[in-house]
Amino acid sequence: CATSTKGGASFDAETNRWSGRLALNVASEPPQSFSAGFELSGQPDKGELRLTSPLGNILGVMQWQPGQALLSQGEQVRQFDSVEALAAEVTGAPIPVRALFAWLRGQPEEVTGWQADLGQLPAGRLSAQRQMPLPTAELRIVLDR
Amino acid sequence: GGLDSLAQFVKDTRSGKANFTQVVTAPGKDGQPGRSKTQTGTFEFQRPGKFRFTYAKPFEQTIVADGKTLWLYDVDLNQVTSRQQEQVLGSTPAAIVAAAPDVKALEKDFTLAEEPEKDGQQWVKATPKSRDGQLQTIRVGFKPGSKGPELGTLDILDSFGQRSVLTFSGFDVNAAVPTSQFVFTPPKGADVLKQ
Repeated sequence: CATSTKGGASFDAETNRWSGRLALNVASEPPQSFSAGFELSGQPDKGELRLTSPLGNILGVMQWQPGQALLSQGEQVRQFDSVEALAAEVTGAPIPVRALFAWLRGQPEEVTGWQADLGQLPAGRLSAQRQMPLPTAELRIVLDR
Repeated sequence: GGLDSLAQFVKDTRSGKANFTQVVTAPGKDGQPGRSKTQTGTFEFQRPGKFRFTYAKPFEQTIVADGKTLWLYDVDLNQVTSRQQEQVLGSTPAAIVAAAPDVKALEKDFTLAEEPEKDGQQWVKATPKSRDGQLQTIRVGFKPGSKGPELGTLDILDSFGQRSVLTFSGFDVNAAVPTSQFVFTPPKGADVLKQ
């Protein structure tokens, strides 16, 4: 049965929605960092990733489906040719957004260049490193409890 | 009314400390009301330009503005990000409450309009002038206090229709907040990177 959605439980099976916070560090020159609250919903090939600031306003909404990836920020909507390109624009690195659906369920999924550590998921934590292409990058996720 | 409460607050309340509850409600979708998340913490400020949001529950996060740099530290993620204050602060709710030295400075970034009294508070609606369009409106509610108007509510509506309402309590007007509260020293081992 679906876990309760009250109190922001991290996963709601009914709407396939995950919520928590993510941080990304890119070892570029100069190094880049990004952190935000997030809500991921939908399916790997048709989904939405919503990023929010600590004070609660939405920084951007990423929506994708086959052949289309849109980024809405304020009143502006921009089109990208892939959800990875869209993620790179917002966060600084092409986060494998589609693989998150599998990773967050604890299912290993190969993404070239990325190495995911699913061992901490029982504690609501996920980390993934990108070894290549350079610069290396690290994604850390903490799910709402 | 709201406008003179704001003017008096900005002029006379040079520092303060209060507890707050933040309820963020997502925009509703196809007739369904949006989901909401509640967080609690403490807010401290020293005008102009210094403030600290210490989120305690359900997770620990700290936002510190030290006058030059805005720091965000997420304890669980062990991540610190920092940005130059003047780049980000102008059209944020914190500018109204803690950063702006006077109302004239606020009017550079916001159109201010009086709103009718409600819930025993005097209200002002601030509409950001900046074109980045992230926030639609910021409504500020002031409660009458023994030492002048006290910040009661920040009601922030963003351009997606997401609403974040911070209600303040136990407001200590012109509290003697130690300056160390507005100095952020990154904890050992946390990744500290510029955004």
